[in-house]
Amino acid sequence: MDALGDGTRRLILERLRGGPRAVGELAAELPVTRPAVSQHLRVLKEAGLVTERRNGTRRLYRVDTDGLAEVRDYLESFWTDVLAAFEAAAEAEAEKEDE
Amino acid sequence: MTTHATETDAIRKTVSVPLPVEKAFSLFTSGIDTWWPFESHSIGGDKTASAVFDVEAKRLYERDADGSEHDWADIVAWEPPSRFLLNWRVNPSRPETELEVRFSPEGGATRVELEHRGWEKCGPEDRSSYDEGWDVVLGKLVDAA
Repeated sequence: MDALGDGTRRLILERLRGGPRAVGELAAELPVTRPAVSQHLRVLKEAGLVTERRNGTRRLYRVDTDGLAEVRDYLESFWTDVLAAFEAAAEAEAEKEDE
Repeated sequence: MTTHATETDAIRKTVSVPLPVEKAFSLFTSGIDTWWPFESHSIGGDKTASAVFDVEAKRLYERDADGSEHDWADIVAWEPPSRFLLNWRVNPSRPETELEVRFSPEGGATRVELEHRGWEKCGPEDRSSYDEGWDVVLGKLVDAA
């Protein structure tokens, strides 16, 4: 699956990072037709990258922040682990030099 | 600050280590084999034998027990003992994210600040494959934007 391999989908996602938008708004901002935007949004939705919500008569699309938060959590713990390992090694090194 | 802004901020981590800045820098880089958690944080996993900061070739890569090499990053800036800047490109077909590590003297000790920028380009579409390892995290995952 390559939801983001398409340049237009990346542009759409970038726009949505600025806040929720309707299909028409995206189409007005980007050099693509409204049906094309809908099509791309469908792919992004299936990939779990955007979610859709009804707001009155409008459908608003937004970035799936749960997904982003999950990525962030993962990377946070990744770098915490790496730096903890470095800290331990540095402390061992410092002790060696004290001897 | 909105939730959105918080979630896409750079990831920043800081530790202080009881070594002078030159030693801290060299332990982190040329001494990486002695401390990096390869089993859990590499492409080859427990097959990974070492990691190499090849400053001349501007390249950071891991070398596995069978001799195969996997790129981790391009070295973009190399300023010992103060800082280095990398472009992670574990999978060359994906966009890069930036990793900067800064070393500053703090008395006789060193403050190490790590900043991972552009990670928000990571696509949550890969979140189900997290367990597959670093390759996913910093390479395949970085498939967005």
